[in-house]
Amino acid sequence: MSVGSKTIRFTLNGEAVGAEVPPHWNLVELLQNRFGLYGARESCGQGLCGCCTALVDGRAVSGCLYLAALADGTRVETVEQPAAGGGLDAVQKAFIECGAFQCGFCTPGFVLMSRKLLDENPDPTEDDIRHYLSGNLCRCATYPEIIEAVKLAARLRKKRDATADKRR
Amino acid sequence: MIPFELVEPRTLREAASLLASGDPAVRPLAGGTAVMLMMKMGVLRPARLVSLRAVERRCSEIREADGELRLGAMVTLSALERSPIVKNLAPVIVRASRTLSNVRVRNVATVGGHLAHADPHMDLPPVLIALGASVTTVDPEGGRTIPLETLYAGYLETALRSNELIAEVSVPVQGVRRAAYLKCTTRSADDWPALGVAVVLDTEGDAVREARIVVSAATDTPTRLSAAEEALRGARADEKILRRAGEAAAAAANVVGDEHGSAAYKRELLRVYLARAVKQALASKG
Ligand SMILES: Cc1cc2nc3c(=O)[nH]c(=O)nc-3n(C[C@H](O)[C@H](O)[C@H](O)COP(=O)(O)OP(=O)(O)OC[C@H]3O[C@@H](n4cnc5c(N)ncnc54)[C@H](O)[C@@H]3O)c2cc1C
Ligand code: FES
Ligand code: FES
Repeated sequence: MSVGSKTIRFTLNGEAVGAEVPPHWNLVELLQNRFGLYGARESCGQGLCGCCTALVDGRAVSGCLYLAALADGTRVETVEQPAAGGGLDAVQKAFIECGAFQCGFCTPGFVLMSRKLLDENPDPTEDDIRHYLSGNLCRCATYPEIIEAVKLAARLRKKRDATADKRR
Repeated sequence: MIPFELVEPRTLREAASLLASGDPAVRPLAGGTAVMLMMKMGVLRPARLVSLRAVERRCSEIREADGELRLGAMVTLSALERSPIVKNLAPVIVRASRTLSNVRVRNVATVGGHLAHADPHMDLPPVLIALGASVTTVDPEGGRTIPLETLYAGYLETALRSNELIAEVSVPVQGVRRAAYLKCTTRSADDWPALGVAVVLDTEGDAVREARIVVSAATDTPTRLSAAEEALRGARADEKILRRAGEAAAAAANVVGDEHGSAAYKRELLRVYLARAVKQALASKG
């Protein structure tokens, strides 16, 4: 084998896609340079801040530390993935409602991480929220609003689930 | 980062033979969290990375065998953190995992990569050494078993040969032993620690029968503190004994300073944290 680009196939936000990637690209470079998706963006580049968060096979990863070539055969989701039924999901609505951002640079990462938190733990305490999101940094320091937003999203999700149950 | 060749063998043995050249520019890649950082910083410029992602499924299994907890090299740290088997057989590992880095890194980082990286600031090596763990390796011809205690040779250096891979970690179950791991971070709560101390105690009533104590982050490699273990052996861990053990540890350990704290400060931390860790272990149910 020679040093060179590799063709990979994967599912991106529900769509089967393919791309040619140089071996040293990370997931953020793949999403930005090949698909024009800028929701995951590199900031610290060291796994510390979460601005580059994407989901690979349903697990949150730091795109800045994830080799693009290893996305081959996986299911990748980014913040650009539309919510089921279209529009915004509970977490996005809650972030807007609570004003949980200023410049918005960190928001895609916080939104994806908050969704994963609520999937795993639908009723998190404030401690749970702080602990789970400790690997996400917000330079504008909107942390109090983010915590409120996650709590609100948990309530919105419960309401949604209750309504869905009634309809069933 | 510079381009390199990426290969994805199907078995660990095949991976080991792809590494066989003895060339430091050919490296295994597991979760890649440490490898990516080293490449970004320019301290690692590989010509070829041998990804272990596609090797045998067995390498991602957590199981119990012969009174031991067995962790495959490709088990992720988040699988470890969530495993009912680990919680049952060695709860101290689960407790230590929760404050190890962040969710995204734990989702990707593997047990094998964690143990092979050999940064002395890492959390699980001291815990696993204190529990008495060993690693099983695979190389192109065979493999061997290495007590984890003897794996570390220096800062980012292990006793592994360049074509030798960690396949599995065997951890004697914690059983009735009481254990604790404490770390002290000096700049922010989730910073790399200035000091880590792992303690595993065999007790009889309120006396310590045997102690295994390991310091990390303050020394170049995770290090057993036999003088402190000796001070605790057969004793009731009261303030006097704990002070003696702390003094013995601080005198014996080859403490080095870094950006997280000077050597003198870390020696003081060791005295204090060793006593705290023993107390926490004694107060714990497992
Ligand atoms: C933001 C961030 C914060 C962190 N914070 C902490 C922390 O608080 N505490 C802590 O303990 N750690 C921390 N870490 C370090 C983290 O634990 C390691 O990066 C991780 O465990 C390495 O595992 P990996 O599978 O990603 O290894 P890789 O990066 O794939 O590999 C690491 C090394 O091991 C070698 N290797 C990999 N697999 C094997 C194998 N099976 N056999 C032999 N050699 C192998 C590789 O060649 C490389 O030299 C942090 C890392 C990051 C990025
Ligand atoms: S840019 Fe990846 S974690 Fe900060
Ligand atoms: S809103 Fe600006 S970084 Fe978080």
